[in-house]
Amino acid sequence: MPRPPDEKREFRFAWRSARQVASEVDAELAFHLARKTEELMAAGLSAAAAREEAEQRFGDLERTRRYCRDEDVRREREARHSTMLDELRQDLGYAVRALRSAPGFTLVALVTLALGIGANTAIFSVVRGVLLRPLPFPQAEQVMRIWHVNREANVDRSAVSEPDFNDWRAATTRFATLGAYWYQPGNSGANLTAAGRPERLEGTYITPGFFETLRASAALGRTIRSEEAVVGNDRYVMLGHDVWQRRFGGDSSIVGRAITIDRGPFTVLGVMPREFTFPADGVDFWIPLSTIPEDGIGRQRSSRFLAVIGRLAPGVTQTQGNEELTAIARRVAEGLPNATGFTEVTMSPIEESILGEVRRPLFVLLGAVGFVLLITCVNIAGLLLARATARQSELAVRAALGAGRGRIVRQLLTESLVLALAGGALGVGLAYAGVRALSALGASELPRAALIGMDPTVVAYAFGVATLSGMLFGLVPAMRATAPGLQMILRGTRGIAGTGGQRLRSALVAAEVALAVVLVAGAGLAARSFVRLLDVDPGFEPGNVLAVSLSIDSDRYPDERFLQYHQALLDRIAQVPGVQVVGAAKNFPLRGTGEVIAPVVAPGGGGRPDSPAMRLPILHVSPDYFRAMGIPLRAGRTFTPADRAGAPLVLLVNEALARRAWPDESAVGKTLRVGEQAVEIVGVVGDVRQRSLTEPAEPTVYIHYLQNRRSGMNIAIRTAGPPLRYANAVREAIWELERDQTITSLETMSSIVGRTLARPRLLTSLLLLFGLMGLSLGALGIYGVLAYAVSQRRQEIGVRVALGASPRSVLGLVVGQGMRLALVGVVAGIAGAALLTRLMAAVLFEVRPGDPATFAMVVVVLLGTAFVASWLPARRALRVDPVQALRYE
Amino acid sequence: MARSSPGLMQGTADVLILRTLAWAPMHGYGISRWIDERSEGALALEDAALYQALHRLERKGLVESEWKISEKNHRAKYYRLTPAGRRQLRTEVAELRTYMGVLFRVLDTA
Repeated sequence: MPRPPDEKREFRFAWRSARQVASEVDAELAFHLARKTEELMAAGLSAAAAREEAEQRFGDLERTRRYCRDEDVRREREARHSTMLDELRQDLGYAVRALRSAPGFTLVALVTLALGIGANTAIFSVVRGVLLRPLPFPQAEQVMRIWHVNREANVDRSAVSEPDFNDWRAATTRFATLGAYWYQPGNSGANLTAAGRPERLEGTYITPGFFETLRASAALGRTIRSEEAVVGNDRYVMLGHDVWQRRFGGDSSIVGRAITIDRGPFTVLGVMPREFTFPADGVDFWIPLSTIPEDGIGRQRSSRFLAVIGRLAPGVTQTQGNEELTAIARRVAEGLPNATGFTEVTMSPIEESILGEVRRPLFVLLGAVGFVLLITCVNIAGLLLARATARQSELAVRAALGAGRGRIVRQLLTESLVLALAGGALGVGLAYAGVRALSALGASELPRAALIGMDPTVVAYAFGVATLSGMLFGLVPAMRATAPGLQMILRGTRGIAGTGGQRLRSALVAAEVALAVVLVAGAGLAARSFVRLLDVDPGFEPGNVLAVSLSIDSDRYPDERFLQYHQALLDRIAQVPGVQVVGAAKNFPLRGTGEVIAPVVAPGGGGRPDSPAMRLPILHVSPDYFRAMGIPLRAGRTFTPADRAGAPLVLLVNEALARRAWPDESAVGKTLRVGEQAVEIVGVVGDVRQRSLTEPAEPTVYIHYLQNRRSGMNIAIRTAGPPLRYANAVREAIWELERDQTITSLETMSSIVGRTLARPRLLTSLLLLFGLMGLSLGALGIYGVLAYAVSQRRQEIGVRVALGASPRSVLGLVVGQGMRLALVGVVAGIAGAALLTRLMAAVLFEVRPGDPATFAMVVVVLLGTAFVASWLPARRALRVDPVQALRYE
Repeated sequence: MARSSPGLMQGTADVLILRTLAWAPMHGYGISRWIDERSEGALALEDAALYQALHRLERKGLVESEWKISEKNHRAKYYRLTPAGRRQLRTEVAELRTYMGVLFRVLDTA
């Protein structure tokens, strides 16, 4: 017998379950059959016959039962949904009203949230663009970047010579394909002649197998195949997306047409997609390496300039691939007449080789900015707790009117989420500006920087973070505000944010301070490291030096005429008014170390006869290079015009080499054996940080420019005033001499130095910014809690003052409370910072993560800030008028 | 005893039920009796179809139900028209009337 359904309809709280629905339907149908049976019995049928007849007449009873149940369950569900929607709408309206009624709180919360979420979004957009987007090659994890290794000479990552690469490629079975390329910014370029003046473009020279290894496909047309990159069949070019847009107006009929690169016709096979930025951003074209004439680059084994990549065959691990290539490399090396020492191979996944260096700093930033948001959330949670006081009677009334605890929690959470999402929307707006600011700060120097930007994923991230924040800062205050005991509030015997609430707020503030300590410690370490970096003496004076890079066309200026043209260029530039000294070098400092020559041996002649062969970088410079760059001459002489081609070869060495080879005597007059030739050292110059500011100068050999012809040319021009003022005159001077001379780049030496500082500067300035945000939020938290405490303790303070407490003791009371909070936070924060800053070790320069000076500074800064934040409310306590405070009661 | 009278189309059954409830709130059995008496057994509304229609109409919000004690002291589920049901009844009756008028005009002239 089904239980009789509930009488109440109008005032129903609970929804009917499926079981209740079923029993109601059963009862309804049973009622019908019972009445029908009675009716038929009255007409004269027996009880059993009447029952049978009733069921017979009813029709399909079971089907109807099912149908009615289904309909009812559906109605129930629909009603429930529409009620929930109603409640949500109600909560939203309520939330907006509540937030508008507290404009001060809403403003503070919105601004801090917008900053926190905006900063997070901006940093995430960088992380996503640079680190998280897949590389533009399918199954990139199978693609390896491969280096030659020379254990004897301590070379753990060397480029590979073309003959070695060809041998490996012919022998490997564990790699599906091997490919190689030569790309060197400023050097591996070519002139593109379309309409008008030729333009210098950045290019990559590729071997057969390059595109097959990457499995990259063209956006338009197709990529160069292996058989189209061999001598005799190699006049093909792939264009980069940007140059295609810029020089060819995005014309898709370019595919199949011939364009002129360095005077020769090349057929355009296709255009690469915009996101294909391998090996670097800003590559304009890819052409076969085989198009470089035989004498243009070294094709012997000692000339290691190729970057090798390989795609592992299916199922082959990196270790297996490495084993095989090392075995091949050893076999090749053993078959050579002279031992080279290059008997091993090392490799890492290509993603690691592209992004390995930037991963750590970016994750440090993402972590730091996450901390900022965490502090923001803790701060808002504190504000919400304080607000709960003001709203306690309102909530109690709602509870008394029948709203369950869950319902009130839901309403308070809705309020927090509305706040968080509004903050998120503002944050997205800020992030748009932030991304641009990041580019200006140096994010554009990151690999794949072109992919940094706001897109739907980044916006979704922002709102995801906002929602999470809303839950985070809303939940605890909501649970607390609805804690049992509300009736007591109605009766006025207890306040929500009484002692318990205040204790919780104090704990939150201590947590804020702790988080801020970690942030400030990170910022402090980065700042100290950056200052160390700025203090590094690069070994030259970049101020007032204009740096021009160009490439001399060796077809147009063969042999003797090359040297003449080269000298003429320097002479012509020297005549520009305001130009003081002009020098040239194969490579500028911080732009690469130049060529590494075959072992140079420092033999007898007073040195250490047994000193092992050293592989030394060689730099080709013109006589005035040292003067132009401000590199001091330590001993002997620099080059003179007399040291020209044909004259006996002479060398200069840097101090690092002189110290290493001849520690106790002058290097001048000693000889170095270069290949089979003994060459005299005529002078010693100061050390220059050629590779990077963070690495000390390597032992280096300088050779006279004119004694060794190179087509790439970097000209350093020391000027009387700000160098860019002379840029146009210099450019005109060059074109006066040769109208078609392309200029690869023209900038100040300072900007070259500045660019190498771009990444540390980005990291440091952002960490400082985040540290500042954390500090301000922490101060805001302390201020808020103390200001509230002072307002709560008006009577107590009034009594104290009335009883003759000195202003000093009143100040001490309040400030003491603030400093206690700060101290707890600082102690906890220092412990956390000591742990977390260890993750920064890799991005710091000459500063250890646990640097005591930095940590001491952090403590001082935090306690100082806490003091100021406590002082202001304390001053207000002083102004309490005892009479008024007591009367208030 | 099988019924020989013509079956009702679903839409017509709905109108009939709404019309019945417009007269007074009643339970399913009452509706069945009312239609049977008014049509003198000519309109055969099968009980199964009646209850399915009632629950369907309730989900559409055209009728609502309430458990009450019947005059013979039984608990029964009473249905009554909602304002939406009343409006629906008016439009459907009007449509039916027009439809029938047109239908008969065509049949009469044939």
